[in-house]
Amino acid sequence: MSHHYLRFEQVGYRYPDGHEALHDVSFELTHGEKAALVGANGAGKTTLLLHADGLLLPTTGQVVVGGIPITRRTLPTIRRTVGYLFQQPDDQLFMPTVEEDVAFGPANMGLDDAEIERRVAEALASVGATELRHRAPGRLSGGEKKRVAIATVLAMEPSILVMDEPTASLDPPARRQLFELIRTFRHTMLIATHDVELIRELCTRTLVLHRGTLVADGPTQEVLAAGEIG
Amino acid sequence: MHLSDALVSPEVAATAGAVSLLLLGAAGRKVSRQRRDDDRLVPLMGVTGAFVFAAQMINFAIPGTGSSGHLIGGILLSALLGPWAALLTLASVIILQCLLFADGGLLALGCNLFNMAVLSCLVAYPLVYRPIAGTNPTPRRIFAASLAAGIVALQLGALAVVLETELSGITVLPTDRFLLLMAPIHLLIGIGEGAATAAVLCAVQRYRPELLRNDLPRPNRRKTARLLAAFVGCALLLGGLFSWIASSRPDGLEWSIERLTGTTELAAPADAPHATAAHLQQRTALLPDYDTSFAGLVGTGVVLLVVVGTARLLRPTHKKP
Amino acid sequence: MRERLTRAIDRLEAAERTDRSPTLLHRLDGRSKLLVTLVYLIALLSVPLTQLSDTLLFAVYPLLTASIGGFRYGPILRRSLIVVPFVAFIGLFDIFQERETLFRIGPLAVSVGWTMFAVLLLRGLLSVQALLLLIDSTGYPRLCRSLQQLGVSEAFTTQLLFVHRYLCLLLRESIALSMAIDARSFGRRNYPLRIWGTLICQLLLRTFDRAERIGRAMTARGFTGRMPALPYTRTRWRTADTLYAVGWSAVIVGLRFVSPERLL
Repeated sequence: MSHHYLRFEQVGYRYPDGHEALHDVSFELTHGEKAALVGANGAGKTTLLLHADGLLLPTTGQVVVGGIPITRRTLPTIRRTVGYLFQQPDDQLFMPTVEEDVAFGPANMGLDDAEIERRVAEALASVGATELRHRAPGRLSGGEKKRVAIATVLAMEPSILVMDEPTASLDPPARRQLFELIRTFRHTMLIATHDVELIRELCTRTLVLHRGTLVADGPTQEVLAAGEIG
Repeated sequence: MHLSDALVSPEVAATAGAVSLLLLGAAGRKVSRQRRDDDRLVPLMGVTGAFVFAAQMINFAIPGTGSSGHLIGGILLSALLGPWAALLTLASVIILQCLLFADGGLLALGCNLFNMAVLSCLVAYPLVYRPIAGTNPTPRRIFAASLAAGIVALQLGALAVVLETELSGITVLPTDRFLLLMAPIHLLIGIGEGAATAAVLCAVQRYRPELLRNDLPRPNRRKTARLLAAFVGCALLLGGLFSWIASSRPDGLEWSIERLTGTTELAAPADAPHATAAHLQQRTALLPDYDTSFAGLVGTGVVLLVVVGTARLLRPTHKKP
Repeated sequence: MRERLTRAIDRLEAAERTDRSPTLLHRLDGRSKLLVTLVYLIALLSVPLTQLSDTLLFAVYPLLTASIGGFRYGPILRRSLIVVPFVAFIGLFDIFQERETLFRIGPLAVSVGWTMFAVLLLRGLLSVQALLLLIDSTGYPRLCRSLQQLGVSEAFTTQLLFVHRYLCLLLRESIALSMAIDARSFGRRNYPLRIWGTLICQLLLRTFDRAERIGRAMTARGFTGRMPALPYTRTRWRTADTLYAVGWSAVIVGLRFVSPERLL
């Protein structure tokens, strides 16, 4: 059996103020699948992603990760399986140095120092940020911040990656670099994005969200051809 | 009202430091416990601390006076985070100002934490703001409560500044005159603080009412009494220590002059370094004449010049790689 | 005002550099430097207010420390001038109250009051210089770690680090907000309370949103309310630290008990 699949079963979510953000969302991503999640601003993309990591718990229906339904009790396991890349790296990087930030996740998992160090070194190397180790996150460039943020997620060695607008506010070279980086990942991925090029190049499948409801789901070519995006 | 190191004596700094450290320790323990139930508290405290710091730098005009005021934040933070978390948050702001912006001294930190954070978060908020605001306050109540709490916090702060400076023997200004000078200024600042706090709190109540901690259990009588007792205890401890210091050295200035002229013997067990120094100097002084002061100045000047010269030689030649 | 915010950002970023290499002073453990600074401040402040030359002698410490750390003394001195106004305000009363002559420089009689005024100013300047040298050679994050190693609670050091981390971001946001408001009004230094309230409220709401997002980011990485112990935050106390702390403390205590006027 695999930890790498992510399944939404008729998920609905209502914010405390009564606004319904998700309505009857069902889909399944299998091992190694790279899916794009598209939709206009306010369509509920971020709300959906938050459900994939148990940061919000559904009002109705359930989310299953690698055979384990997300409930309050399974959250620690879920957090190891699903890695979440936030839109704003400034929100994701909060420790005084890059290495401490990357070590934060593994340390929370209760790993010993040697293992933490191994993971930090590996994660930083895989995003090409080894030389940024001792720098302060606040003083990195946008692209560097993004790469370090990815390293903080990779250090937890998740099998599923969830990304919220990974290419937003990156300059063209940094964006290119990020494409190449994502291309090397073997993880199951769900990427919320407006970036058509990213969808075309990296995602085999596309989900379209409209006002909290999934209105299209299929191979990227077909969905794009049907003109559901825009 | 950040006290500089120059304005406190080591004894006063140590006493205030001990009291502030104790209270910060208690706050640390309380917040650690609070964090376990609320894992959003760490970022919330961090960011609101940064907010208060930023808000302090943005001034508003006080109508009709041509001067300006700014937020200090103790009451505001208490209303948003609860008094203990607020104490820790405001303390972190004051320490940051001290370490990075040289706003207030390192030794005087204890005094500054006490004057600005402890008095507003642990005294003015629970004893003035809460009773007036009550649960589910109307904007008018928020305004009244903020204004009263702001004024009380600042007046207590000003009083503490005066006491600390006087007990340090720094100023020759008599206590009552000094107080008369400080109180009206801080009344204005207090009104500014109160108005600013009210402005922000009313806005929060309008847009994000869930953030106000009006739902906190009303400080019950026993708790308030205990807090009050703790505060009075602290004050007594402080007062006791201060008066002990003061009595062992009736007047810093008088004492210095006496020492200078070398006429009075000193029996001050509390001031071991001073006493030893006095003895040492009395023995080494051949001619306690005023004009040796000038000679001393010249001598020191020479020493400093030598130091500067050596320093130039010592300075690493490579600046930065 | 915006200028002030920008300057604050520069200062914050400067203190974030945790560069350890440049000089011996930078490489020392924060605890050692903190200890020496405290000893220095206590010694300096215990010098009676009428002892001008004794106080002046204490300038030895910032002068020497600056050179060990490869700092130019001029900028340190300039930055320490920030304390002058308030200290001078308090000291002013001494000038008028204490008119007795303390000593003479040629025909010039220096009164007790003027001496006290000068000593107060010197104290203010020297204590700030000591503080600036401490922070400039250690960096703010490392100093916070040192505090934690000295027994300050983790809840508090975490708070100190978080405030610093988010202050730059927030100051930038306030600059942007104030520009947006200024674009719609005349250039003024202070805002009327009503506009100020709107500005600050905006800032506060953004602050809360950010706290929410950071909270999520922390939770997503397994945070449950207790900061984990990281392998990188412990520093080792070496012989050099002991030597530095003991050496300077001895020198400072020496400075305190040596009076230049008595030696001459």
